[in-house]
Amino acid sequence: MNIGFVGLGIMGRPMALHLVKGGHSLRVSARRPEAMTPLTQAGATACSSPAEAARGSEVIFTMVSDTPDVEQVVLGPGGVAEGAAPGSVVVDMSTISPVATRAMAAKLAEKGIEMLDAPVSGGDVGAINATLSIMVGGKPEIFAKVKPLFELMGKNIVHIGANGAGQVAKACNQIVGAVVLESVAEALTLARKNGVDPARVREALLGGYAWSRMLELHGGRMLSRDFKPGFRARLHRKDLRIAVETAAALDIGLPQTALVAQHLNALVGMGLGEEDSAAVVKVIEHASGVKG
Amino acid sequence: MGRPMALNLIKRGHELSVWARRHDAAQPPVDAGAAYCASPAEVAQRSEVVFTIVTAGKDVEEVALGEAGIIHGARPGTVVIDCSTIPPATTRRISAELQVAGVDLLDAPVSGGEPGAIAGTLSIMVGGKREVFERMQPLLGCVGKTLVYVGESGAGQVAKACNQLALVVAIQGIAEAAVFARANGVDFQPVWAALTKGLAASRMLDLIGPRMMQRQFDAGVDARLHHKDAHIVLQCAQESKTYVPGAALAAEAFNALMNLGDERRWDSAAIVKVMEEMSGFPARGL
Repeated sequence: MNIGFVGLGIMGRPMALHLVKGGHSLRVSARRPEAMTPLTQAGATACSSPAEAARGSEVIFTMVSDTPDVEQVVLGPGGVAEGAAPGSVVVDMSTISPVATRAMAAKLAEKGIEMLDAPVSGGDVGAINATLSIMVGGKPEIFAKVKPLFELMGKNIVHIGANGAGQVAKACNQIVGAVVLESVAEALTLARKNGVDPARVREALLGGYAWSRMLELHGGRMLSRDFKPGFRARLHRKDLRIAVETAAALDIGLPQTALVAQHLNALVGMGLGEEDSAAVVKVIEHASGVKG
Repeated sequence: MGRPMALNLIKRGHELSVWARRHDAAQPPVDAGAAYCASPAEVAQRSEVVFTIVTAGKDVEEVALGEAGIIHGARPGTVVIDCSTIPPATTRRISAELQVAGVDLLDAPVSGGEPGAIAGTLSIMVGGKREVFERMQPLLGCVGKTLVYVGESGAGQVAKACNQLALVVAIQGIAEAAVFARANGVDFQPVWAALTKGLAASRMLDLIGPRMMQRQFDAGVDARLHHKDAHIVLQCAQESKTYVPGAALAAEAFNALMNLGDERRWDSAAIVKVMEEMSGFPARGL
């Protein structure tokens, strides 16, 4: 299949390479030209713009940072929409606003271009090992068409619903994960401040109703003080900002989500945005007068 | 909770004397061979070890130290194992008074709910003298599976407070995600299915998520207890000067839940109703 791929960062590069290895013909575009080198070495064609990458492609993937970036590479000057033919499919795998995604899908539909939102979870390790979880929004028949390509990049591939539903699922994932992370940080600090060994408390909690993957993984990191990323606090903060902004756009109150978003702001303010988001425990500890 | 725990002790061959505020609540263990007593003091007279599992701190004080309380029937060397969830400070005070009479108290709050109590798979967090814990381990093993000695008197209650903090905050997080999906016009079922496989996975998501989807809000009776426990968490945080804003928000959500009809019937999944009503559902037609 002729495929366009826009955005070759830490996630996009290994994902695009899996598509090349799967026997597909790729036209790639990236903000930094040197990011394209590993792909051209593997046989992909370097393009000067997203529009160029889209020309002649049946499916065009985008994998960039944030909502304005996707809007830029899809609808901006020299964007995918300028080069894509009617009947082609734009698949955005970035994590961005569901509201903006729905608006973008509507604009592309006016030109006869289909869109799927397909944000991923699993980080750069998942991208390299092709084990990403992929949450997809869009028409079922378009999902079916692109599914073989998703299978080259990920393992747990779920069609959630209409356009934007993939981004909604990703936001829900970030909401629940972040709030559980906050609860783990508070619980372990409450134990410490009461003179009780947080390691024993974690062990006890893992055996009961309070079990969570965050308690297991991030709770462990908080105890061993291992804050190497992982998932950088800075990026976690961006994902929560999407949730909080979407809540404002839809007039819904998400107090816990907003609270964690503020704590991640504070963590970045402490100069720790490059640490794993488990470091949010430092905000709790700092306010609780725990040293070190 | 107390009934299935007592039955598990009988099943393992122990001789039980029981007392309950509501006489009929003691019927199943009595049918299984337990002796019914007129007071906690009488239970203590007949026992080497006395388990207590009641609702609040004042209830434990009553059965342990009250007029017909355990202290009036217990001999020096008797061990009291309190499985209730109460403030750590209350536990320490009761422990000190019992100690004067030569009675050892273990605080041994449990997690795992009624299914865990029936299956004998509760997680038990224990505070008190280590030597007493070690002696009591075989008995605790009759009612629970994960037995963790946390530290001196009150440490079990601190661990339970941490447990409840983690639960109530996680429940509200799940409710927020459900509201978020609904406001976006997305069915929560496939979202929930995707979440259970990733980093957001938790036992609460497994248990409470489906109840939120099926709008089955009276499957358990946990809301009233979580409401009580959330305030124990805040009390414990205030005394120890710990910053727990997530717990405070969750405690407020449980306060609000107590205003939505018959509080005794609510399962904690009903927190999603609080979050929905706060944002104008279903009046907005979402």
